[in-house]
Amino acid sequence: MGPLIPQEIIGQDWNLFIAFIVGIGFGFILEQAGFSSSRKLAGVFYGYDTVVLKVFFGAAVTAMLGLLFFSLFGWIDLSLVYVNPTFLGSAIVGGIVMGIGFIAGGFCPGVSFSAIAIGKIDAMVFLGGIFIGIFMFAEAYPLLESFYMSGNLGALKLSDVLGISGGFLAFLVIIAALGMFWLGDLAEKKFPREEY
Amino acid sequence: MTIKSIVMMGLFMLGLVIAMVPENTTKPYKLTAEDMLVEVQGAAEMVTSDEVAHWLVSKDPSLQLIDVRTPDEFQKYHLEGAINIPISVILKDENRDYVDQGIKMNVLYSNGTIGSHQAWMILRQLGFENNYVMQGGLNYWFDTIMNPQKPSSTSPDEEFAKYDFRKAASGVFGGGGGAALTAPTQTKADKPKIKRKKKKKAPAGGC
Amino acid sequence: MMNTKYMNPYLAGVLLGLVLLMAFFFSGRGLGASGAVKSTVVTVVSTIAPEHAANSPFYSKYIGEGKSPMKSWLVFEIMGVLVGGFLSGALAGRLKLKIEHFPGISANRRLIFAMIGGILFGFGSQLGRGCASGSALTGMAVLSLSGFISMATMFGTAFALAYFFRKNWI
Repeated sequence: MGPLIPQEIIGQDWNLFIAFIVGIGFGFILEQAGFSSSRKLAGVFYGYDTVVLKVFFGAAVTAMLGLLFFSLFGWIDLSLVYVNPTFLGSAIVGGIVMGIGFIAGGFCPGVSFSAIAIGKIDAMVFLGGIFIGIFMFAEAYPLLESFYMSGNLGALKLSDVLGISGGFLAFLVIIAALGMFWLGDLAEKKFPREEY
Repeated sequence: MTIKSIVMMGLFMLGLVIAMVPENTTKPYKLTAEDMLVEVQGAAEMVTSDEVAHWLVSKDPSLQLIDVRTPDEFQKYHLEGAINIPISVILKDENRDYVDQGIKMNVLYSNGTIGSHQAWMILRQLGFENNYVMQGGLNYWFDTIMNPQKPSSTSPDEEFAKYDFRKAASGVFGGGGGAALTAPTQTKADKPKIKRKKKKKAPAGGC
Repeated sequence: MMNTKYMNPYLAGVLLGLVLLMAFFFSGRGLGASGAVKSTVVTVVSTIAPEHAANSPFYSKYIGEGKSPMKSWLVFEIMGVLVGGFLSGALAGRLKLKIEHFPGISANRRLIFAMIGGILFGFGSQLGRGCASGSALTGMAVLSLSGFISMATMFGTAFALAYFFRKNWI
């Protein structure tokens, strides 16, 4: 019954190794899907390449389904899986700031690493920017702390907020994702361009 | 069929299934039937009322008595320091930390042995440790500790030792009077070991 | 569907989801990236200016007796990402040092925007307690409210502002 390491079914020492292996999978798939190109990534916002939508939502719903089915079969104890807590104010503002960063830079941090791995200099510069941005946050932290800690709703799940079951929420998200996949392909037909 | 259509259909169908299936909130059984058989035959979970009396008298801090009867019965009489977790609510989340822990030695009791043993069986199958059953329950407690029978003159010495202890203990608990208390040589040499529970690490994560 | 040298996106999505699932199954946690960069920043700052780091409410959380910020799950994961990305690029013949940009703008302009984007993302990821992979992707997979909020605000903002940045891309 998973998760294996928090329950010490495998030793803690394996954790970092597993992180490494997971990372390899992550980086490999991202690069294979073309996430190492900022032009492909930005395409989702202009309709000419919706790979971001398909891969992102595809991964989210696959993992979502996976977790729910594993829990159903008794293969995983969901109460031991980390659910990131909601801090309302900072989550929203942080999301907005990151959204600007996304459309300006054409990367998000995880993806930028796979781009750096194949030699994209713009990704390296993006990473440099991340360092600076984090440093700025760290230095400004005393001023931001109270906002950062405000609106703590705890590790809330959307299904709890909506009063529906996890499975039903997953179904809704899947429907939304399927809709987006369909729209995505439609957009790509409308805005054709050559491959990057 | 293209990959796209396979993926989309697959997601849709799995989504339907997961939406309709009720959420799994059952706590799975950790011990197999074979394991349980071995355990109940070994009867290591049983503790005697003498032992409980001894622990109470010596104010053993690791003891936690759990009364599994109804709240009414608990009100009428309960052992000193006992908490009331009726068997009907023993699986509820709010009681989880009492029955699933690795610090105290829980001794479950009821009027006889059946009620407390039933509770023990369920808890043990869920893999919880450190729960014990007071043999004979309160009935036996009253018969032996509170109103001990004076052994006949032909009984072995240890019976007398037990009797002296019980008389004294009953004094502590509100029964007949008694003299100085010494632990009877009868009690188990080893107190049941408290199994340190592997603390389930709270999940960590985040960026 | 156009002929492409890249993996089918639907397949990639499912595979990525399975990788994420394995992370949950083994380690009880999902992916992430900004945290690894943060660990590096903390390490650098505490090496160059240890007193400042110790006094700061931000850095001090990550340093201290026996705590090595670089020995974290995310740092090792990111090292794996570099290896995985490299392997994939090598296999596909995409290894090339270059500044990728829309031909309609100069390389320098691209780099400037990349830097700006990075700064914003760095700052935003700390505020939002995660980036796209950590908060949005992983968060959504566990149905976390914060994950959905991150996803919606991130993509929503980017879509809303796309018009203003269009010269850079199309």
